[in-house]
Amino acid sequence: MKKRIGSKIFLGGMLVFFYLPIIYMMFFSFNSSKSLSKFTGFSLRWYEQMFANKTMLESIYYTLLIAIIATVVSTIVGTLASIGLSRSKKILREIVIQINNLPIMNPEIVTAIGLMLFFTSLHIEKGFFTLLLSHIIFCIPYVMLSVMPRIRRLDPNLAEAAMDLGATPFYALRKVVIPQLMPGIVAGALIAFTMSFDDFIISYFVTGKGVNNISIMVYTMSKRVNPTINSLSTIIVLFITVALVVVNLVSMRKKRYTNRSYRHVFVISAIVLGLGIAGLNALRGNASSEIDPIKEYGCNTLNVFNWGEYVGEDTISGFEEKYNVTVNYSVFASNEEMYTKLLGGESYDVLIPSDYMIERMIQEDMLKKIDLKNITNYGGLSSEVLNLSYDPKNEYSIPYFWGSVGIIYNSETVKKEDVEKEGFNVLKNPKYKGRIYVYDSERDSFMMALKALGYSMNTTDEKEINEAYEWLKELKENNPVIVTDEVIDGMINGEKDIAVVYSGDAAYIHDENSKMQYFEPLEGTNLWSDGMVIPKNSTCPLLAEEYINYNLEESVAEGNSAYVGYTSSVEKVREKLANNEFKGNSAYIPRSGYEKDEIFNYNEKMKKVLAELWIKVKAK
Amino acid sequence: MKSYKKLIQPYVIWISIFLVVPMLLILLYAFTSQGNDVMTFHFTFENFIRFFQDNVFLGVLIDSFRIALITTVICILIGYPAAYLISKMNVKHNGFFILLITLPMWINMLVRTYAWIGILNDNGVINNILSFFGVGKVHMIHTEFAVILGMVYNFLPFMILQIHSSLAKLDKSLLEASSDLGATPFETFKKVIFPLSLPGVISGITLVFLPAVSSFFIPKLLGGGQLLIGNLIENYFVSTGDWNFGSAISLIMALLIMVSMYLTKRLDKNGGDS
Repeated sequence: MKKRIGSKIFLGGMLVFFYLPIIYMMFFSFNSSKSLSKFTGFSLRWYEQMFANKTMLESIYYTLLIAIIATVVSTIVGTLASIGLSRSKKILREIVIQINNLPIMNPEIVTAIGLMLFFTSLHIEKGFFTLLLSHIIFCIPYVMLSVMPRIRRLDPNLAEAAMDLGATPFYALRKVVIPQLMPGIVAGALIAFTMSFDDFIISYFVTGKGVNNISIMVYTMSKRVNPTINSLSTIIVLFITVALVVVNLVSMRKKRYTNRSYRHVFVISAIVLGLGIAGLNALRGNASSEIDPIKEYGCNTLNVFNWGEYVGEDTISGFEEKYNVTVNYSVFASNEEMYTKLLGGESYDVLIPSDYMIERMIQEDMLKKIDLKNITNYGGLSSEVLNLSYDPKNEYSIPYFWGSVGIIYNSETVKKEDVEKEGFNVLKNPKYKGRIYVYDSERDSFMMALKALGYSMNTTDEKEINEAYEWLKELKENNPVIVTDEVIDGMINGEKDIAVVYSGDAAYIHDENSKMQYFEPLEGTNLWSDGMVIPKNSTCPLLAEEYINYNLEESVAEGNSAYVGYTSSVEKVREKLANNEFKGNSAYIPRSGYEKDEIFNYNEKMKKVLAELWIKVKAK
Repeated sequence: MKSYKKLIQPYVIWISIFLVVPMLLILLYAFTSQGNDVMTFHFTFENFIRFFQDNVFLGVLIDSFRIALITTVICILIGYPAAYLISKMNVKHNGFFILLITLPMWINMLVRTYAWIGILNDNGVINNILSFFGVGKVHMIHTEFAVILGMVYNFLPFMILQIHSSLAKLDKSLLEASSDLGATPFETFKKVIFPLSLPGVISGITLVFLPAVSSFFIPKLLGGGQLLIGNLIENYFVSTGDWNFGSAISLIMALLIMVSMYLTKRLDKNGGDS
């Protein structure tokens, strides 16, 4: 008896472990605020937002569409190949099985980069097609794995008998062979669907052009905690629970799976999924206006590639409505990621990289000159962001957001004097050991190290860089947590006391938690700006210029800046927000005109050196 | 059935293009240098020398295998008894329990991992409960503990399902025979049940160890900048754009995994013989 209770506790504990995050997620999907640790009240706002969020609906649509097509194709191909394989010579069979094992026995990341290199070398543009093809490629082996054991148990004489009795090989296949393999085929199809539905790693490396599945969307959405993802997951959980319960009830009643019940399940799930896809397609459709974009601009789709969570809520849909076009909107997490994706053969019409990356792309002749005649709102831009060293005449780039890098600290637990006196060196102060976030970027980390040591952040002096490397290694002794955008939510929740952040994120953090104060160190810091550019291979440059101009319209720029918290490049919008939404929020107005502040210059050699050193700092 | 032989031919072409060529490309990139253009490569061992000469990279490699090994051991220690207990339930409960274990796997892995951040945070659910009972805060997020927890959480179901399916196939009359012949329940377990369930354990190990060793988003989300080999590969492919070095690291990892899988399989064979 005692043993029984013990085992019940063990299994119960395990279930708690499995379901704790799920219950947690469902619970917080009804939270009225953004917080993921404090429940402030019941609300359905995240569900409403989810159905209004085009990016999210699109990712669900693509996830389902790809999962269904990949399942159907891989099940058919996998089954036929398995049947063929069972009849072929032993050597061939062994070889095929070994090759089939490659995607199963290799870590997913290896398959992923293999496919990425494959598409890139053949200059196949990454997007829906490559994503779908990759899913089919990795699903087939799993289908075969589940069908082949069934074939081994099959009596080969049955098909022969059918053919002796006058059946064509195809008829025998359909009426005799396939029905006997059905349990294996269904299991294989289920595995394929699950694999495709949940895949992240392979999809992440082979997609492009704004075609994202749910996993990629979640990964790139990490910029700001967005509880709509909890709502989506809650709906998926409920849907699957209902589906599984129904299937189990049906199978329990019928005791045995028959071919007919398979067919019923297939038909029902096909109808449900088809309706779902049609519904999603309708939801993500866009309203039309009078303009005929093909006539005006020669195209009606615009591919925009921007940072995650870097645009106002209504900006994209507003543009689509106004110009009667479709915007494929994709996001990146770093300038380097964006650059690599372009190298991988993806093409976009508008990009929003940072200053040094714009400089690099100009050097490498990757950008198209912008016709300033078409940018009628150019006059509204702040003088602080124009004619900077990375693009002295603004021939290639139009500023979008700008700001500084600084320190945000909890004014209740950190002494103001410490921060103001020590600047970036406060991160090494043992008083604050283990209570620090450092941003995971070699540029920003070496910038603060070099500034703290009193050097220029654009130095190429080996000795100075080595000193900075030592500085960062010493900083590592103070147990900082190296994060990217989790810093935003972490500081809002007061997880740590000091963090290195971009001024725009600081403005947002201060807005949500007024204890957090922003400070720009007196030893100088990095002044940065992100600008809108048009790559050379854009197929829709006229519409791209229209999009750039649209983002400088006061109402649009205000929508962007108010939602994201970053400083607008449009003078009037900055003034207006500084006196309203962000009143008293010093981070919204970056320091300008301070002689020790610098702008990044691009230097290919230094970039590689710093990247390698930063990996070594992190790995220690 | 001879007439179905031809069915394999298109598939052979398919896998040659889509499975073999990509692997050859990784090999090609790993042994060449410079540029991301296939046409201008130079043959070199430099990428491998760079990797093995540096303690930092070796350290990351060892860390990854160590953490994956710990994860796998924990999964066996929890997964085996769980699968054993489930297989002893009656048919109705058994199916229901397996359903309960498969259900979370339908929710996106990333979303589930994100949820753990909120649970493990310094001001998160667990610490709030602890401080409610007057116990001090325990720092959990951004530690190796959090990374291992995230991996066990994500991969334990694979282990349980594999072991369970091999235990479910077990012939009940063998167990009866064993006890009829006077074996104690423990002896029966040691001499009959465990050896027969070993194939399930082995395939469970494969399904846990493989993704654990190469995972990159679990250490990224829960580890707070902890670098594992998967992060290195992602870094060199996505951020740095040094695809040659990235390919070399992938190749080293894949080879090491193949060796460890081979050794694990040998274990099974030896266990089966004795």
